[in-house]
Parts: sequence; structure tokens; C-alpha cells
Amino acid sequence: MNDQVLIEKLKEGLKEKVLSISNPAPRRIFLKVAVENLLEAVRQLKEEQGFTHLSTISGVDLGKSFEILYHFANNFCSFTLRTEIPRENPLLPSICALIPGAILYEREIQDMFGIKVENIPDSRPLLLPDDWPAGNYPLRKDWKFERPAEVIPGGKK
Amino acid sequence: MNFQIPIGPQHPALKEPIGLRIVVDGEIIRDADIRLGYNHRGIEKLAESKTWIQNIYLMERICGICSHSHTTCYVQGVEKLMEIQPPKRGLYIRTLVAELERIHSHLLWLGVAGHEAGFDSFFMYVWRDREIVMDILETISGNRVHYAINTIGGVRRDLDELQVKHILDSLEILRKRSEYYKNLGTTEPSFVARLAGVGYLSQEDAIALCAVGPTLRASGVPSDVRKDDPYAVYDEVPFEVCTADTCDVLGRTVVRIKEVLQSYNIIEFLLKNLPAGPIAVRAPRRAKPNEVVSRYEAPRGENIHYIKSNGTEKPERVKVRAPTLGNYAATIKMLKNGFIADVPLIFAAIDPCICCAERAVAIVDSRSGEEKIVPQSSLKKITRNTTANQERKREVEWPW
Repeated sequence: MNDQVLIEKLKEGLKEKVLSISNPAPRRIFLKVAVENLLEAVRQLKEEQGFTHLSTISGVDLGKSFEILYHFANNFCSFTLRTEIPRENPLLPSICALIPGAILYEREIQDMFGIKVENIPDSRPLLLPDDWPAGNYPLRKDWKFERPAEVIPGGKK
Repeated sequence: MNFQIPIGPQHPALKEPIGLRIVVDGEIIRDADIRLGYNHRGIEKLAESKTWIQNIYLMERICGICSHSHTTCYVQGVEKLMEIQPPKRGLYIRTLVAELERIHSHLLWLGVAGHEAGFDSFFMYVWRDREIVMDILETISGNRVHYAINTIGGVRRDLDELQVKHILDSLEILRKRSEYYKNLGTTEPSFVARLAGVGYLSQEDAIALCAVGPTLRASGVPSDVRKDDPYAVYDEVPFEVCTADTCDVLGRTVVRIKEVLQSYNIIEFLLKNLPAGPIAVRAPRRAKPNEVVSRYEAPRGENIHYIKSNGTEKPERVKVRAPTLGNYAATIKMLKNGFIADVPLIFAAIDPCICCAERAVAIVDSRSGEEKIVPQSSLKKITRNTTANQERKREVEWPW
């Protein structure tokens, strides 16, 4: 199956839910859907087009919103499903029910962007330490790293 | 009787730290949990503040074993963003280093597997042979670990006739010695018996949990980025995707041995068909606003970089997913219902390459809820004792 056939099939299956679809290079397809249609798109990709392998989930801070990209792959194509969520209310549905292997990537997104993933089976922090101050999301563009002043325990005041 | 085991200030299998929390019922693992991130270095954030060229060297330092994987994945993505095409000779040399890296990584793993299974002479044989590959890499790039051979638009060092001859000669020695790995199944039944049936991961689970690389292929899924999504010159090179259908550590061993043998053939092909010409083209300083998904088959599995440019000298976003992270979900599944003594073997079998994790492994007794930290050496002792008292599965077949 080539890229064009897959694009046609997805357009047919998702109809007006497709916000944009592009094929910038061979074996690379980018599809954009609204966040409320995300689960439906993932379901179609998995069950009808055979994209069972989720490579990873990337997040990008666009300023007013976050862009979330789900990178799927199968034996002939690398497929990126993207959606955008507002910065004020960053809510994302969990796709773990469809793709169990997504759990670590969803936890990573939660840690790094402060996005709330709904219905996630396990919402504990993955990468950030337990004493990480709340409200600090390292991969947001407005987050800047400042090295804390060094304190020597028992040292001079 | 309540029985608690902890695992010491280091990784149960390798010398890198990760937090594993294992719930046991007697000797049997009922649940496992992984805690990462104590050594998270923030490379993705750092990459946003460095130029395209500086980032090559940053990406190289993500990992000490698959350093070439990360730079190649990054560089080939950036080349697409900058709309340049590296010359053929450059791509051949890039692929050559990639395959040499695969051999050295797989040999390293085979040694570790032998060591974890209590077969230390195998460990020493394999690591002796690995030195040959390390020497080749040093001849080509001048470095043993961080080869620094990639640049945007090609590679940084050319090969000459003498180097080609040296590599081909060394390859012959490696081939001869590799006969032993191939015949391991017939000559070392106790090693095979130790690995068979350990860390079972069914084909359905491997697919559902998005496992990658040899872990996935050992569960009978013929998935290899080099074949599925050819990059560099893999569309010109003849090779086979190696799989096994035993779904256990034995299968993962066989897949890696087969891949090493395939890599010898690939290298020989690359050197005999090495085209003449330049090795690199000049790259611009900036990349137009665009995005790219770059995939690469690292020794441990699929490595994926998502790179977004914004028209400046620096990337807008670089997302890196190293293969080990992709295999953690599957590892938890493999550990469940296994024995404590198999933890090092199972964990080593995904070839974890982590520079990010917690320090201790605590084992919680599911009946008492108590936990205790024990040193790694004790766990190893348990592993060895299990091997010593195990009934030999002499009927196990070498799944070649």
C-alpha cells in the first residue's frame, strides 16, 4: 500500500474530521484532527489501517496552545497524527485503552508540559523528581532553567 | 515465610542506574514498576538553545554505546530540513560506521548476557572479539566511543585504501571467531537451558506494548526500520531481517547473533562498492520553518527524532525517543510471573541503555509489605544458584 492509497482511505473514513493531511516526503504522512476526534482517529488508524506501533508522543509549545504529535509506524509508513489543545485548559484524552504501550509517553507529556491526560491508567510523575516544585514544566517555552544557589549543609551562613 | 530482597545502589544487570520496584510472592514476581528520571539531563530543552551544528555533538552524548545512532538520526532529519542531499560516498561511510556500531553493541550485549547467565568464558571471548571492532572504529574515526564522524551534509573523515584493507582483514578474523557464537546452541547446552523460557513476551503483547528492535523481532515480528523505512543507503544493500519465534531471552540472543553475521555481510558489501567522490556537501546555517520525523534502527531498536525548525540557526524543538524507553512497558510484562533470579537476565535482554534513573531496586513482599535494600552481588548470587540447581533442559532446541 502506498501513501496516496492510505490518504484516500483515511479521508473516506474520517470525512470532515480531517483538518489537514499532508505527505511531505515518501513514507511520511501528517494528519491533523481536533482533540475531540483524537480517539476516533487513533481507533481507525489501529483497527482499519494496521498502525499498531506507537513510536512516541511529542509535544511542542506553540505559545497559545500545545501541539501534540503521535508518531505511529508500520511496515511501510511513518504516520504522524497531530492535535492542538489550548494552553489555558490543557486536557488530552488517554489512548492507553487502544495502545497500551503509550503509557510512558503520556506520563512524560504530563511531566514536561503540564498537560492533564484524562483516564490515564497511571498518572504518577515519570521523569521529574519527587521534590520537583509544582507548576514547573520544563519543556514549556517560558520555563527557564536557573541554577539554584549552592548550599553546603552545615556550612557558614 | 516472608522473604525480601533488594537490589543495591546500581542497576541489577548493568552499570547504569534505574529504579525497579518488584512485588514478590515467594520467589515469583507478581508486579513490577519502573521509576526513571533521577539522572534526566534535559537534553531536549538544551538542544533548543544550541545551533544545528552544536547539537550534533550534544546528540552524540545522549548515549555512549549508540552514539552514532543519535547523530545519524538527527543529522539526516536536519539534512531534510535544510534540503541538502549528502553525497553517496558520505552515506556509505555513515552506514559503515552504523553497522560497525551495531556489531560492537551486540557483542557487548552478548558478553553481558553470558556474564548474567554465569557463563563468564563466553563473556571474555566475546569482549576480546569486540576489541577488533573497536580498533576498526578507532582507525576510521580516531575515537573508540564518540566517533564524531557525522556532520550535516555528510561525514567528516574519508576512508583510504589501507583502511579498507584493514577493515576487510579484521572482518575475516571476526567471521572466523563468530562461528563459535553460531554453534553455541550445539556446544553449550547449559547456556541455552538457562536462557530458554526466561522473560516470555508473546507476539501480541510485544505489538500491543510497542516493543522495538531485537526484543520485538525475537517475538516473531519482522520489523526493522532499515527495511521498512530505508534511510542512508539501506535500500541498496542486501540484508535480511532476523527474527526468532521463541519469544524469550534465548530468542533475543539468537536474533542478535544473526544480526551480527548480517552486519559482516553489509560491511563487506559497503566496502566493495564504495563509490568515489566527495564525502560531504556544505550545509547552510539556517533551516526554513518545517518539521521532520527521522527514524533509525539503532542496535537496540527504533530510534526516532522529531525535529522542528523555525527559520533560525537553532531548532524550535527536538524530540528524542531512544529505543530503551520503548521497551520498558514490555519489560514490565516480561518480569511478571517470572523468578527473582531472572531479573538481571530479563532486564539485560532488552539491552537497557539508560543514563536516567533512580539508584536502588526495592523488592516488596506482597504478603508482608516489607521491603529491604540488598546489594547487587546478592542478587547475582541468587541468579547463579538458580542456574546451579536447575534441571537441565537438554531438549531445548537452538532456534537458528
